[in-house]
Amino acid sequence: MSGVIIRRPWAPRLLRTAVLGAASLLLLIYVLAPVAWLLSSSLQQERELTSIPPHWIPDHPTLQNFRAIFATGLGYAQPSANGVDPTSGGFIPSVAANLLPAMGNSFIVAFAVVVLNLLIGVPAAYAIAKIRFRFRNAALYTILATRVIPDIALVVPFFLMVRKLGLLDSLTSLIITYLAVTVPFSVFVLASFFEQLPDDLDRAARVDGCSRLQVLTRVFLPLARPALVAVGLFAFLASWNEFLLALMFTQTAASQTLPIVVAGITSDFTVSFSFLNAAGVLAVVPPVILAVMFERYIVSGLTAGAVKG
Amino acid sequence: MARIRFQSVSKRYGSGQSAGQFAVEGLDLDIRDQEFLVLLGPSGCGKSTTLNMIAGLEEITEGALLFDDQVMNNVPAHKRDVAMVFQSYALYPHKSVFENIAFGLRMRKVAEAEIKRRVEDAAQRLEIAHLLARRPSQLSGGQRQRVALGRAMVREPSVFLMDEPLSNLDASLRISMRAEIRHLHAQMRSTFVYVTHDQAEALTLADRIVVMNGGRIQQIGTPDDIYERPQTIFVASFLGSPAINLIEGTLARADGAAWFCRGAWRLRLPPELASAADGAAVTLGLRAEDVQLAGDGPADLPAVVETAMPSGADQYLGVRSEGQTLYLRVAKDARVREGDAVGFTLTPQRLHLFDSQTGRSLRAGA
Repeated sequence: MSGVIIRRPWAPRLLRTAVLGAASLLLLIYVLAPVAWLLSSSLQQERELTSIPPHWIPDHPTLQNFRAIFATGLGYAQPSANGVDPTSGGFIPSVAANLLPAMGNSFIVAFAVVVLNLLIGVPAAYAIAKIRFRFRNAALYTILATRVIPDIALVVPFFLMVRKLGLLDSLTSLIITYLAVTVPFSVFVLASFFEQLPDDLDRAARVDGCSRLQVLTRVFLPLARPALVAVGLFAFLASWNEFLLALMFTQTAASQTLPIVVAGITSDFTVSFSFLNAAGVLAVVPPVILAVMFERYIVSGLTAGAVKG
Repeated sequence: MARIRFQSVSKRYGSGQSAGQFAVEGLDLDIRDQEFLVLLGPSGCGKSTTLNMIAGLEEITEGALLFDDQVMNNVPAHKRDVAMVFQSYALYPHKSVFENIAFGLRMRKVAEAEIKRRVEDAAQRLEIAHLLARRPSQLSGGQRQRVALGRAMVREPSVFLMDEPLSNLDASLRISMRAEIRHLHAQMRSTFVYVTHDQAEALTLADRIVVMNGGRIQQIGTPDDIYERPQTIFVASFLGSPAINLIEGTLARADGAAWFCRGAWRLRLPPELASAADGAAVTLGLRAEDVQLAGDGPADLPAVVETAMPSGADQYLGVRSEGQTLYLRVAKDARVREGDAVGFTLTPQRLHLFDSQTGRSLRAGA
């Protein structure tokens, strides 16, 4: 036989694999256990949910919570505890009928915020990254500065403005205020992405016959896809999850978003935890679908600007 | 067809309090139609700024830029009939080679069949026809450079701008590309403006060279003019390899002639160099190739050999004379050893004399 087979000591290698595996498993459990419990409990009856020890796998899985949410017109949405023992299950809170409309509201707001973020953020970021104008740095730092103000400090001024504009209890109020919070971040991320695209690319395109706007649409946007996805997802999630401003500005089901309605479940006289968890599952699904769809762009988009290339 | 004129053009960066940083100051330049003009100078001398102003990529602070008789100051880059090759090539990473070359034509709404014809023709001439389907990331540096050239060529522009297009190539490729660019100019019949800091490139390519320093023009002239009759110490020292020897001394008038004096050394100057007053501080410029070993005859310049450096075709001597080291070229077969005392004869017409204060040439008519 030609050649020599070098045997590496197997014991340290095995140990390394074992330690790494165990650590990964622990982390996985830490992250996924709450989600698994959310999913499992949403399929349980209230009685089983409160049993000790808890059942990770339901003995009697039921879709009644989801049926109640999706078929509110079919008689499930009787207001509150009309003679049903809340601990026995089958209890549907009064706001069940509001969940789907709230989800719709959340969608409209989040979608509008994403679209407007890109429409406003992209040209602003291009200008900051590639056009030398007076007060360019001042503009960038001002935009950044608005990001470090906590939302809670803005609630009162926002509220006064929204009321003055007559926009209380409307989706518009949410879209406007969410833009104020998300656009600075979008501009910042996109500007740092555009900045690392070589200036010569911009200049070559202009000499080749592109106006500034055409440079943006023909050359920069196709190259910026990962950054656009990252920015869009961020804006979507920020709007989807936002609670504080929505709580202040919305009062009726006409404008309430999902977090508000879900939180409202806990303020009923009796709380149905299994129903609450079913609503939670519903709130998780859209972001998860989006994340899976754009998964391959997210990593490269979020790390854009970290390394040149 | 384009004649390009700069009339008292200045470019200033910054505004408000930081204003006053001139990149280019008081530029007057007349570039002839179909000329190959090279802007030469060290980095930061304003040559790229000048090129970018022609392209419309930099705004002009003061003065006027004209193409033929039309003032171009406020015409945006995409509306000028100008093509440009960048040092970084600046190819569009997301487009194929074909689309890279075709892009400028598409933006100008040229018919599809014509685009195809021109792109394929250019690819043929640049020998990149087999690469048309590739992405820029799959090309070598030399191939990218050709694509960049092709992208400018197909536009058939009246003004062709190049910003250090060869400086990212390796040495042998650079030499062969010089010939191709020269050839391209002959075929295209457009006005070429070429920026470089490489004096050899400038001397090879240019019809005329503009030497710039500190945002100002030092000298405009043919390669011969610039090399043989530099008007300033800067121009003299920027061209030539090894760099010209600059020897400081004084001018003395005696016996009806002018003499260059440094220490014990006296050199009789030809009359056309002798326009300065008696006692003036002057700098003598002596190129390495403008000397011969004197042998046993009378010598203009006595020296002691410090180092002998053969360089293939000839050899360079580092010699010591009057407290200064000079680098001189001698024939390859000259038998000199380190430590030898030698004498050189100089060619009077090939000497350069400058006013040490102003740095300007003292040659009559310069």
